[in-house]
Amino acid sequence: MKNLIILGLLGYLSIAFADKETLVLVDNLNIRETHSLFFKSLQERGYSLTFKLADDANLVLSKYGEYLYKNLVVFAPSVVEFGGQLDTEAITRFIDDGGNVLIAGSSAAGDVYREIASECGFEMDEESAAVIDHFNYDSLDEGDHTRIVVSPKNLIDAPTIVGTHNTQPLLFDGTGLILDKDNSLVLPILTADSTAYSYNPKNQVKEYPHAVGRKTVLIAALQARNNARIVFSGSLFFFSDEAFNSPVSKVHGDKIKSALSGNKQLSIHLSQWVFGERGQLRVQSVHHQRQGDKKSSNTYTITDTVVYRIEIEELKNGKWQPFEASDVQLEFVRIDPFIRTTLQKKPNGIYEAIFKVPDVWGVYQFKVDYDRVGYTRLYHSTQVSVRPLQHTQYERFIPSAYPYYVSAFSMMVGVFLFSFVFLYYKEESPKSKAE
Amino acid sequence: MPAAATENKANVPKKGIFNNTTGFSTLITVTVLSLAWLAGFASRLFAVIRFESIIHEFDPWFNYRSTAYMVQHGFYNFLNWFDERAWYPLGRIVGGTVYPGLMITSGTIHWILHTLNIPIHIRDICVFLAPVFSGLTAIATYLLTSELWSRGAGLFAACFIAIIPGYSSRSVAGSYDNEGIAIFALQFTYYLWLKSIKSGSIFWSICTALSYFYMVSAWGGYVFIINLIPLHVFVLLIMGRFSQRLFVSYSVFYIVGLLLSMQIPFVGFQPIRTSEHMAASGVFALLMAIGALKYLHSLNPKGQWKQLLILGGLIAAVTVFLAVVLLTYMGIIAPWSGRFYSLWDTGYAKIHIPIIASVSEHQPTTWSSFFFDLHVLVCTFPVGLWYCIKNVNDERVFVALYALSAVYFAGVMVRLMLTLTPVVCVLAGIAFSILLDLVLREDETPAPAQDSDDKNLYDKAGKLKKRTPEPVAETGLGMNVRSGTLIAFMILLMLFSVHCTWATSNAYSSPSIVLASYGNDGSRKILDDFREAYGWLSQNTAEDARVMSWWDYGYQIAGMGNRTTLVDNNTWNNSHIALVGKAMASNETAAYDIMTMLDVDYVLVIFGGAIGYSGDDINKFIWMVRIAEGEHPKDIHEADYFTERGEYRIDSEASKTMLNSLMYKLSYYRYDSGGSPPGFDRTRGALPGLRGFKLTYLEEAYTTEHWLVRIYRVKKPDEFNRPRLPLAKRTIQTSNVMSKKTSKRRKGALKNKPILVKGKKVTKLD
Repeated sequence: MKNLIILGLLGYLSIAFADKETLVLVDNLNIRETHSLFFKSLQERGYSLTFKLADDANLVLSKYGEYLYKNLVVFAPSVVEFGGQLDTEAITRFIDDGGNVLIAGSSAAGDVYREIASECGFEMDEESAAVIDHFNYDSLDEGDHTRIVVSPKNLIDAPTIVGTHNTQPLLFDGTGLILDKDNSLVLPILTADSTAYSYNPKNQVKEYPHAVGRKTVLIAALQARNNARIVFSGSLFFFSDEAFNSPVSKVHGDKIKSALSGNKQLSIHLSQWVFGERGQLRVQSVHHQRQGDKKSSNTYTITDTVVYRIEIEELKNGKWQPFEASDVQLEFVRIDPFIRTTLQKKPNGIYEAIFKVPDVWGVYQFKVDYDRVGYTRLYHSTQVSVRPLQHTQYERFIPSAYPYYVSAFSMMVGVFLFSFVFLYYKEESPKSKAE
Repeated sequence: MPAAATENKANVPKKGIFNNTTGFSTLITVTVLSLAWLAGFASRLFAVIRFESIIHEFDPWFNYRSTAYMVQHGFYNFLNWFDERAWYPLGRIVGGTVYPGLMITSGTIHWILHTLNIPIHIRDICVFLAPVFSGLTAIATYLLTSELWSRGAGLFAACFIAIIPGYSSRSVAGSYDNEGIAIFALQFTYYLWLKSIKSGSIFWSICTALSYFYMVSAWGGYVFIINLIPLHVFVLLIMGRFSQRLFVSYSVFYIVGLLLSMQIPFVGFQPIRTSEHMAASGVFALLMAIGALKYLHSLNPKGQWKQLLILGGLIAAVTVFLAVVLLTYMGIIAPWSGRFYSLWDTGYAKIHIPIIASVSEHQPTTWSSFFFDLHVLVCTFPVGLWYCIKNVNDERVFVALYALSAVYFAGVMVRLMLTLTPVVCVLAGIAFSILLDLVLREDETPAPAQDSDDKNLYDKAGKLKKRTPEPVAETGLGMNVRSGTLIAFMILLMLFSVHCTWATSNAYSSPSIVLASYGNDGSRKILDDFREAYGWLSQNTAEDARVMSWWDYGYQIAGMGNRTTLVDNNTWNNSHIALVGKAMASNETAAYDIMTMLDVDYVLVIFGGAIGYSGDDINKFIWMVRIAEGEHPKDIHEADYFTERGEYRIDSEASKTMLNSLMYKLSYYRYDSGGSPPGFDRTRGALPGLRGFKLTYLEEAYTTEHWLVRIYRVKKPDEFNRPRLPLAKRTIQTSNVMSKKTSKRRKGALKNKPILVKGKKVTKLD
């Protein structure tokens, strides 16, 4: 009995803290020390980190169909095969079930990384390839020109993901990523400069490199359709204490110097985004009604005026607060949108549209589809039917028909008068009439 | 039908016993008619006895559903009913697109019975409505035939129509369709029309108009009436049979009938705006013109007026015709609809309106179905027709026109056999009556005591008419010839009733939603897959789930599954049906785009390969392709679905487009039944050409016991969660390393793993 209570309590607690449960996979427990600043920032924000070696024989993500963790951090470039029940398939299933993943590799990362990357729609360059930039390397570089300096201008223009104040140059040392052009869900968070390429620094360049110039993506992100987020960095060094603390000085070009790299700030922003602290939207309530009516209804008549209100909230600092934007649109769709209008912003995160229902009956949907980079996809559709006029709703007297009304009534009067005359008029010779 | 057979003969002796007594002849008439009613009712119950008291087929399900809606919500709500569950996302205004007569009839019966505290479910009323109305049809036919010829002929006709397969095919118990009550309305309108033209009284004309109104409210076939009656009037005018009676009855009928018919929302302004109805107004105008000329003529009846009258009539006819043509040309009157054209040109529908041609009951009739539906009557009704033409009067002109036009239409479409059946019964009744008259009348002289009973039955009625030419010819017949003929005809009639019973029982009493198969030992096995599937839909899918299927099954899904459908048997929107056809004919990816556009949640296909059911979707598939091609000629080409030699096949010879179409895939997905070898298609007698494939955008949701109905769920876009890069598209190849993990050793592997060396004490570093 006692055990049961304890189990129940544990279960309750595990659900309560499930959002902050994070599994960190490392290939070497040293990483806990070398990347302590990053982990510390996570812990300060309330994440409970579970460190495990990537080849641990007891690795599990879920038990009895329930996930033990909400977030997964993989800082284990040298992993050849995950231990326990973990493999590429388990990780993709974790993503498909809504889990967030932060992965950082290096030029030594193995095929497991490539598999995971491909499952998410991008590719990681070949083993031992590294991003080389002979014009933008750091002064502390060891000669391969792989410790490159990336300008914050190369960041994606999405404040929700990367934050607003990225001015310091970034240090990067790792492999490059390639993005599929047709893929609209994948975001290049950070790209290399046009002078960069990705190749094995020890070898002579014989083939055309897989990633050249600005197409070399250093950090990529994916927000899946179920709003699970994945950040894939080609560099584990990017998140290290060393990169956080070291000064930056470029050897060539504009010779930018900075006392501190921007890595720390960006890493924290990225982790906030990937673990869903920012850029989360939700629909709090939806209300639609005929203008002037008190109650909501699911049936409208053609040419009714309809008021549609939607309340949208954003997760800010752990609390749901009204969302502010000016570009939320509403569509009124029956196969094709018949009406598309921008919703007017009202106080308290309420957006409102007033419009006239088209003169075409059918089954329509109010659709709000707000899909912006960095935000979770906000999609809401409500089905209503628009019906034609009822037989009592047509106008009873049509102006153009008045001549006919007059003729009908005058006819009635005439017949009445005629029958009166006919019945009471005494005629001299009724015989001729009868014939 | 044993009852009918016996009663046919039984009435013969009965009537004779009570010679010359009007009271008894009425008694016999009533008895025969009620027996006919009973026999007609009983012979239509095979479906209920064999299966159960359910609604049959497709259209009746909609009629039942809307009747139930009307009973529940009241008439006005029914009239304004906007059905958002049909034709998603277009919806359907049921009140304005339906002939409400059927629903109102059963709703009224339901209301009356409930007022009398007889609690009966509306479904039972719907199931038994058509059999009950068959009795009324018999009475109406009796009245019509009596009006035309004699009461004896009327009794014959009533007995014929009660059991004839051509009519019972549309009116067995459970076949709750417009035709069930419309044939009664048709016959009754014609009866009243003859009555009014005979009497020339306004009363009967108004009765005709009212009955016509009921017919308009019940069935689209009212167009037949509104063209046949003007044709009758027109022919009478040409024959110089203009009379005040004709003038009064037609003008009253036309005006009142026109106004009444326009009260049905579905008909609306059609009677004054479409070409189908123009004959009636043209004849009306002509009649008015001739009436006026006749009046002028009567003012001054002199010789030269006669030519003027004819000339004036001709001018009026030409003027009316030109006016109609001009109005059509100006677009005020809608030209003939495609359905109407296809009556004149049987190839028209096949080229221009595949959706009409795709329905099996719109195919031209084969001679065998004439015999099957009418049996011996098809041979005897020309005799009646000949007699009617020979002894012509105003009414018989009508029945001759009726017979000729109905024969033509029945030849064009199987379905219109239904309009031929009543007139065949009428004329065959007349023919049999005359024949028996001939045979039995002679008996009067030589053996009055023995056979007097027989003769009087048809005699009496016949005597009312003037029948001068026959007796001379009859005298030559001897006793043996007479009794031989009599026996021969009795045997014929008996065979007829046997055939009727057999045909009704075997061909027309299958509910078609419950199938029966017979084993080698004669045991019967019920295949209830349709209801199984619809039951599954209603229990396991979301309330507002949208089900895509070919339009045949729309009403059933709505009626039994209670789910939203995209297209249904009310084929009012060809392009929407073509869109569904296109989805079925496209490959999975293209179909998925259409299905997401239409918000489809489930796809339902009928697959008969496992049990050899030939009415399945693969066999209908080529019509889907044709209909889709009509609207999307760029994407769908009929020729792609045939083999190079132009064959329609599904085995390995089949074309690639065919094998990749959604319909093919949904039918044969995971199919491994059907005997040996597994996956053999018993309907087509072939092994499917593509097997063992996987579906990307759909997943199987349910398949019924005999594979007859297969339901698939359409995956939502968010189920394709990640944009996975398929192996073929990757630029960087990964080595395919086998896992080294075993069930016991679950440890993973790291490169350059630091090795712990045991046994050394680590000294403090600082």
